[in-house]
Amino acid sequence: MKLNLYEDKNMTDEHVDVYYSNMRPVISQLIDTVNSERTTLSGRPADEDLDDGDEIMLDPGEIYYLDHIDRKLYAYTADGVYRIMNTLASCEELLWNYGFVRVSKSNLINIFKIRQLKPDVNMKVYASFDNGERICINRSYKKSFNDYLLKMRRISK
Amino acid sequence: MKEKIKQFLIELCCVYALVSVFGAVVNILAGTETNNANVLIMFATCAIATFVLYLHNLFNKVSPLLMMLLQYIIACVLVGLMLFTLSVLIEPISPRGWFEYYRSFTIPYIILAGFYYYRVFKETREQDKMIREIQEHSHDL
Repeated sequence: MKLNLYEDKNMTDEHVDVYYSNMRPVISQLIDTVNSERTTLSGRPADEDLDDGDEIMLDPGEIYYLDHIDRKLYAYTADGVYRIMNTLASCEELLWNYGFVRVSKSNLINIFKIRQLKPDVNMKVYASFDNGERICINRSYKKSFNDYLLKMRRISK
Repeated sequence: MKEKIKQFLIELCCVYALVSVFGAVVNILAGTETNNANVLIMFATCAIATFVLYLHNLFNKVSPLLMMLLQYIIACVLVGLMLFTLSVLIEPISPRGWFEYYRSFTIPYIILAGFYYYRVFKETREQDKMIREIQEHSHDL
């Protein structure tokens, strides 16, 4: 995508014009950013108590996957693991445009962070991430996962 | 539950119709004939196969390979019960008969399992390719 930046010190009405052929997720994300509505998740480092530590704003693009364990939701990033106060279902809805798809009862993965998708000898399919971790794509979510990829491919062209 | 039973019966009817037509074509080509007992055994076999395949939702937590093995074991047990019942009610089945039946049941099962195995790998390869494409397009930003 071509990016033109114009600097005008005298401008009082700053604005952004977006020319697009179709409303792809990246365009939606741009609009969210301009409108200051870009989705972020707030989380606290998982190894600290909920009342301690600073709340950190997490950009969806930084998150590898979300894991729901013991009624708690964790976001896995390159920098560490963060406890998120949202529910998995709300994150699924919120992060649809950002490449997140449900692959099991407790996992939402970011397809932009997948390094490889590969089946094991026992036919379980795993998504491998840059941080070396793997998440299993549950058989019951296989169809919805495939539908999501088809939809994302279609709208990202 | 009622809906599930209805769906099971519809699938059983479809499977039995296909197997019957295939059997009839084979009989015509080979010049052989079947009898009432064989027709009933064929129906019972279709019912067992459909039922066993219907159980796949129960094995969502285990790997597909283990699911196939478990389904095969369940099918073997059900087939064994069927043959034992026939042996008692109609006429005793010889060891050769047992062997032949299990063989004719196992071979298609292995072929279908192999096909499923191939399909899992093929679909995963295609999905991986799709992910690459989506990732490349996102880099345009």
